[in-house]
Amino acid sequence: MSHDDAAERQARFESLALPFMRALYNTALRLTGNADEAGDLLQETYLRAYRTFDNFRPGTNCKAWLFTILHSVFINSRLKARREVGPLPVDELEERFHLFVEPPEGGSGDVEAWGAHWTGEVEAALRALPEAFRAAVLLVDVQELTYEEAGTALGCPVGTVRSRLFRGRRLLFAALQHYALRAGYPRSPEQ
Amino acid sequence: MMDPLRHPADELQLLLDRQLSSDRRAEVEAHLASCPHCQRELDALRRVKRVLRVDLPEHPVPSEVAARVSAALAAESSARVTRRSPAARLWRWAAVAGLSLGAAAAVFLIVVARGARSDPVGAVAHDFASYRAATLSFQLETPEPPTLERFFGSRMPFPTRVFDFGMMGFRLAGGKVHRLAGRQSALFAYENASGQRVLCQMYQGRLSELPPGAEEREHDGVRFRIYLTAGSTLVFWQEGSVVCVLATDGDLEAAVLLAYAKAIKT
Repeated sequence: MSHDDAAERQARFESLALPFMRALYNTALRLTGNADEAGDLLQETYLRAYRTFDNFRPGTNCKAWLFTILHSVFINSRLKARREVGPLPVDELEERFHLFVEPPEGGSGDVEAWGAHWTGEVEAALRALPEAFRAAVLLVDVQELTYEEAGTALGCPVGTVRSRLFRGRRLLFAALQHYALRAGYPRSPEQ
Repeated sequence: MMDPLRHPADELQLLLDRQLSSDRRAEVEAHLASCPHCQRELDALRRVKRVLRVDLPEHPVPSEVAARVSAALAAESSARVTRRSPAARLWRWAAVAGLSLGAAAAVFLIVVARGARSDPVGAVAHDFASYRAATLSFQLETPEPPTLERFFGSRMPFPTRVFDFGMMGFRLAGGKVHRLAGRQSALFAYENASGQRVLCQMYQGRLSELPPGAEEREHDGVRFRIYLTAGSTLVFWQEGSVVCVLATDGDLEAAVLLAYAKAIKT
């Protein structure tokens, strides 16, 4: 390959792929829970993508393609072995969620609202989600990939994405309610 | 208590994500109207989706990470040339055989230089330094912005606005079709009576791919990202699919005022 060809290929790749650097980095950060590992994951993702750029079909979703590579690198790397940082008590949170949707007499402890000022808690709850649920939630809710694109990225059927997303959202909700109550947030008026 | 199996739990999520057929949606909505359990479940899912999509902050990519990625891509690109060029293979053999440490050093410098060139911030600072050192040549020298705009018209893949800084005492010197960090850019430059210089470039890209700057400001609905380098102030902003950058040896506030005067909200 000549210098001109290589420069042209690199320019084409950069113009397509680099605009997603922030989205990839944020997802890497939330998958690994560690800035150094996120940087490594980001760099490896871009390198793999660049090496396989000839396989990318112009006109298809570049973002979804990059997330497929990111997830593959993440799963196949040694990061996986280091990722567990105190997972959420899944059964307990599912029970908490059921208490919210089927409140017993006297109220369930719902709080009025959590939102922009709760980002620290959301990040913490995300980090503590089981990895399969976390990845589905990050790709669909944060990065706005379709179920189909997320399925491709995660290497699983669409039905599995739906199920992981559903459980991930329920667990996150329960975890956030738990954090909010622990922090002494007021209960909603109807409770 | 209702049998939980009778609640369309999974379909509530599909309703939230607009994945239900219209027939099925009507049935689920009818169920919802009379089921507090499902109303609360849908409310919970909606609140989670909202907090993730709207409220979760986006962390900037640390500049050293962005620089590492750029350098890695440049090195990979360079290696592709090296792998396939007979001359380069000879050079690599020479380097490996220890016959030419100088050659190895040269390859290293090329890789480092290419890494710097794939960073738009570093590349603009470099171009501005070349302009100040009078080593930057123009394809068209003209004091008339409309003339230069016509020149770019047939050569650039996007409409180029050549700014008129006459009111601020800056006279257009000229412009060229340039390469900025591997992309085609429209470059044009100005000078005022006291020798102060301004260099502008426009290229297709996103502000979000740049490393964090020294400062971010917003004016009239446009976000500006500011970088301070040795000897220059750089101000970047986005106009549609195009990134505009203005570099000057004036101080930060002077640079920002020039950018504010010409930026257009898209």
